[in-house]
Amino acid sequence: MNQKNNLIIGLIIAGVVVMSVNVDADPRDFAEGLPNIGIMLKEITEVDSSLFVTAFWSMLETIQMAFIGTVVGVAISLPLSLLAARNLNNKFVYVPIRALLAAIRTFPSILWAILFVIIVGLGPFAGVLAIIMYTVGFIAKLQYEAIEATDADPMDAVGAIGVSKIQLIRFVVLPESASHLLSQILYIFDYNIRQTSILGLVGAGGIGFYIINYIKFFEYGKAAVFMLVVLATVLIIEWVSVRVRDKYIVKSQRGMQIKS
Amino acid sequence: MQEQKGSTFPSISTLSIVQMNDVSASYDSKDYVLKNIQMSISRGANYAIVGQSGSGKSTLLRLINGMMSPTKGKIMVDYKTPNTSDKKFKSMMHKIGYIPQNLGLIKNSTVLENVLIGALPRVSGFNSFFKKFSNSEIDNAKKILKQVGLQGKAERKVYMLSGGEKRRVAIARALVQKPEIILADEIVSELDHVTAREIMEVLAEAQATMKLTAIMVHHDLQLALEYADRVAVIKEGEKVLEIGVEGDRIVDFQSGNYTQREILEMFTNESKE
Repeated sequence: MNQKNNLIIGLIIAGVVVMSVNVDADPRDFAEGLPNIGIMLKEITEVDSSLFVTAFWSMLETIQMAFIGTVVGVAISLPLSLLAARNLNNKFVYVPIRALLAAIRTFPSILWAILFVIIVGLGPFAGVLAIIMYTVGFIAKLQYEAIEATDADPMDAVGAIGVSKIQLIRFVVLPESASHLLSQILYIFDYNIRQTSILGLVGAGGIGFYIINYIKFFEYGKAAVFMLVVLATVLIIEWVSVRVRDKYIVKSQRGMQIKS
Repeated sequence: MQEQKGSTFPSISTLSIVQMNDVSASYDSKDYVLKNIQMSISRGANYAIVGQSGSGKSTLLRLINGMMSPTKGKIMVDYKTPNTSDKKFKSMMHKIGYIPQNLGLIKNSTVLENVLIGALPRVSGFNSFFKKFSNSEIDNAKKILKQVGLQGKAERKVYMLSGGEKRRVAIARALVQKPEIILADEIVSELDHVTAREIMEVLAEAQATMKLTAIMVHHDLQLALEYADRVAVIKEGEKVLEIGVEGDRIVDFQSGNYTQREILEMFTNESKE
């Protein structure tokens, strides 16, 4: 047993080495390049504070894009996830829906953004559409998994009353999985803010547009202003979501009071 | 039991609400959980099914409410064959109040919301989607909450309740269905003696005032004899004994291959463990 484990670990390490050679990932290059970090750090500290106002407004745009994308995406994914849950539907319903969701998930948000820039042109709208698609593909999967994990006992007990499927969903499935669903929505909002920040790279609006342009022209000090604003925003969102989680999710799962 | 085979519905009575003829059931089509069960439960009876864990007594309840179908034999519940995919039976499922062993309550919902679930068969799909219940339904639910001793707790979340209170919620949910039959699976097994008797009193009172047929699975023969007027003992999937209480006398209806003494010893041995 132990020998087998050692063999597996050895194989994994050998795999990493062989693949590193294949993709030309050489740690020596990293060591040689280390002094460049110093240059970058020095330039980053030369912050151009006059840009903070621009950074603030573009961050606000980013947050709005992420918010719209999350809300609309979740609104689309909830019915889809109910249709994709194996404990609520037969396979003629859930198999096609799952296939559709898997297809949506194969694209990362940046590829969706490129696609929508082609369709609706440059600007935040393309970014919003990209975020919606990503949210649907990703959150619908998490949601149908949460729905399938719904306790079978209440489903059985309420099913035995002879209620309709809509009633079963409304009174058993949704309340029982609500804390999971809420937790996932908070997570995807947090994640969407971060990924909207880079959609500017392909011209789909948001703060990423400034970051990529200043980096392209080696103006790290200016790019740093925007990065700092992103960092601060992510920290604030994180703080807020921890508070929401404690108030609505942890309490309902454990039935306990969190002291703040 | 062998000699009854071949005869069609030997003892159907218009009074019996649940009739089982030679019923066998299995989950994997190999080992039978229930074997050749013959059972007739009359309308308004207070029937108890007693047996050790794994004897198949929970399966008996699932056969009655149609959650499971027998492998062999025939069951009639109010003259219909229980089958949840049959429309005719589905429209009468609300007449059977089923309380599973783990109760199946929605722990994040309030007591009132849980209890109103019992009224859902009377509510349209549209209204139930918005959790809209008529005032008379809400009044009725509150009346039943009072009846089971949960007054003032309607807005509590279920996860905040004690074990005894949770059982009262499950009873209230079943009663809101306006049932004719109550099926309860070991509803008091995990409770202390005092709480167990309180819960049994609530059920007994509801049964008397609402004229219900109660079919309850118990672990404890003593408790079953105390509350039921007829007790069937299940051992390894077979009904080995059916006794009734008439006045202060125990009447033997069927003792099968076991003597009463053997059965009683079986149970006293178990409680010593």
